[in-house]
Amino acid sequence: MSGARDAILGRVERAVRTGRIPSAPPHDRDEDGGTRADGDARRGAPDSARLQERFVLEARALGVETYVEPTAAAVCDRLRTLIAGLRVLAWNPDGLPYDCGSIVDGALLGSSPRADQARAEVGITACHGAIAETGSLALVAGPGCSPTVSLLPPFHVALVRPEDLHERFIDFVTARADALAQSSNCTFVTGPSRTADIELSLTIGVHGPGRVAIVIGP
Amino acid sequence: MSGGFAQRAREALGNQQLHIALDRTTAQLVVRRAAGLASLEDADRVRDRARASKMQLLHTLADSLRAFEARLVENGARVHWAETAADANRIIVEIATKAGVRRVAKSKSMASEETHVNGAFERAGIGVVETDLGEYIVQLAGDRPSHIIMPIVHMTREQVGRVMAQRLAVPYSDDTQTLARYARAQLREEFLQADMGLTGANFGVVENGAICLVTNEGNARMVTTLPRVYVVLMGIEKLVPTMADLDRFLKLLARSATGQKLTAYTTLVRGPRRSGDDSGPDQMHVVLLDNGRSKILAGETAEILGCIRCGACLNACPVYRSVGGHAYGDVYPGPVGSIVTPGIRGLAPFAELPSASSLCGACREVCPVRLDIPRMLLALRHEAVEHTRQPAALRMGLKLFARVASRPRLYRAATAVVRRVLRSRARDGWIRRAPGMASGWTRFRDLKAPAAETFETAWRRRAAGRTS
Repeated sequence: MSGARDAILGRVERAVRTGRIPSAPPHDRDEDGGTRADGDARRGAPDSARLQERFVLEARALGVETYVEPTAAAVCDRLRTLIAGLRVLAWNPDGLPYDCGSIVDGALLGSSPRADQARAEVGITACHGAIAETGSLALVAGPGCSPTVSLLPPFHVALVRPEDLHERFIDFVTARADALAQSSNCTFVTGPSRTADIELSLTIGVHGPGRVAIVIGP
Repeated sequence: MSGGFAQRAREALGNQQLHIALDRTTAQLVVRRAAGLASLEDADRVRDRARASKMQLLHTLADSLRAFEARLVENGARVHWAETAADANRIIVEIATKAGVRRVAKSKSMASEETHVNGAFERAGIGVVETDLGEYIVQLAGDRPSHIIMPIVHMTREQVGRVMAQRLAVPYSDDTQTLARYARAQLREEFLQADMGLTGANFGVVENGAICLVTNEGNARMVTTLPRVYVVLMGIEKLVPTMADLDRFLKLLARSATGQKLTAYTTLVRGPRRSGDDSGPDQMHVVLLDNGRSKILAGETAEILGCIRCGACLNACPVYRSVGGHAYGDVYPGPVGSIVTPGIRGLAPFAELPSASSLCGACREVCPVRLDIPRMLLALRHEAVEHTRQPAALRMGLKLFARVASRPRLYRAATAVVRRVLRSRARDGWIRRAPGMASGWTRFRDLKAPAAETFETAWRRRAAGRTS
C-alpha cells in the first residue's frame, strides 16, 4: 500500500519538473495566504436588517417559503400552523430557539429508528448559520442535530435567528471554524431538492425535501 | 467502442432523436451559464484567482497531497492510494468485502465511471445502484453517460419514460415530474438498505481535509449520511488549498454548470461520525487515484488537471453539440475529454480526438479556470503526428506536394492544370463535386471555384502597370 503512495508521490514530484504548468501571475494569488475573500477591500460590514432582507430575497427566488415573525410567540404559532396534522421529525427540542422545543415534544428524533424517521412528513431544525448572499442554511451535524431531519422528510422547516445571518459563505466558515472542526458533516442547503436531468426540465423534490420553509424570529 | 471518432460522429449526425435531445439542452445551458456568470460580482477576477490557485496547487501537488492525507487521518478517515483504475477497484471491493457490504449506493462520480467500479462490484457479488437521477436511468437502460453533469442529455423524455416503464414496471409517462417521482420511490429504499455509500469528490480541501460534494438532488447527502461504510474515490488533482479557494470554486462551478448561484446541497464531510452523533458512517475511506494523472502532469497538457468538471466546454463546443458525448468513445466527452482521455488511456487509440475540434476557442472562453484547451489540443495533434503512423496516402501526398511546391515551374504548371479542371466543373462560381482526392472536401461542403487569374499573374500584371 505504501508502495503505491510513494510511487505516486515520486511521479508527481518528477512530473512538475517537466510538465507545462502555467505559472500564476503574482497579482492573482492571495496576498494573505488565501484567507481573504474577493471584494473585501471595498466592503464594509452590512447591517443586520440589510442582511436579512437579502437572505429573504435570495431564499424566495429559490422557491423557499419565508416568514419573518416579530415575536417568539408568533414564531411558535407559525410553526404550529406549518406542521399541523403532519408526522414530525425534529432536532432535539433543547436545540430549537424561541421555545419551540415544547411544540415538538414527543416528535421523532434523529435517534429514533431509521424506518420511523423515513416515514416522517416534516423535519424541523434550527440552523448554525444562514448565508444572505445565496439564501443558504448551514446545518452542522452533531449530538441532537442529525442530518436525517433536514433530508428524509418531504418538507423541511428551519428556524433562523437574526444572529445566525452571515453575508457570505466564507464569513460563516471563518466565524464558525470551531464548530465546523468538531463536526463530521456540514451541509449548506440552498433551496429545495431539484433536478434537471431530463431535458433540463426543472423537477423539485427528487431525494431531499421538495418543500422548504424558513421562519425568521426576532 | 466501435470504429473511430469519425465513424461514431457520422452515425451520431444521422441520429435525429439525438439532435432533438441535444438541442433541447445544450443551447439553454449556454444561456444559463452566461446569466449565472453575470450575477457574480467581479467574475473575471474570481476566475483569475481560481485559475491561479489551481496552477499553484499543481506546482506543489506532492506536498499538498501529503498535507491533505495528514488532515484526513486526523479527521478519522483511512487513506488508500491507487496507481491504476484496477487498483482502485480492488481496494474498494476489499473494503466492501471486509465490512460485509452487500449493497452499495453510489452518488454521481466521474472517477468511478473512469475505473468502471460497478463492474468490479458486480463480479464480487455486491449489488450497486446509481442514485443520481440521470445516472440511474443510464444504469436502468444499460447505456453510458454522455455528458459530465447531464448524463442523459442524449435521451428525450419519451425515451426515459419507455426505459422506466420497461424496467420498473410502472405506467409509461413522459411527464418529468412523474418520472422523478418513480425514481424517488425506488431509490429511497436503496438508500435505506445500502451498507456502503460511494462518492467522488468535487473538491478536497487541503487545509482541513474536508471532502466537498455538491448535488442538486440530495443523493450525495443520503449516501454520506445513511450507510455504515463510506468510501470516497477521487483523482489526486481534485484539491483546493483553502476554504477561501473552495468558496470561489463553488461559485464558479454552479454558475458554469447550470447557471445556479450555488448548487442546492453543498456538503463538507470531515471523517466518520463522531461520538454522540445519531447518523453518519462508522468508517470512512478515501481512495486517491492516479490512473495516468501524474503522467499528464509531466507533459504538455498538465494544465488540464485544473479542470473542475463543470461541463461548460461541452455545451459551448460546436462539435459536441452536433455529435453528442458517445462519439468521443470514452468516459470524458467534449473538449476536456479530448485531452483527458488520451492522457489517461493513451494517445494511440484516441489520436483522432484532438482533431475533433475546429479550434474555435469557445471552450477556453467559457472555462471557469480559463484552461487553454485549444493550445493543448494542438499539442496533442503535434504529438499524434510525431508518434503515430499517418496513413500512407497522406504521407505520400505531402511528400509529393513538397516536391512540386519547391520547384516554381512545376508548381506553375500543376496549378494551371488543377485550375482548369476545377473551373470546368464550377457552376455559378461553386464546385459541388470535386474529382479524385479533392472529393473529400466536397462531401460535406462546396468549394469556391478558383479565380480566372492566379495571384501570381495578377501580382505581375499590377507590378507591370505601376512601372509603365
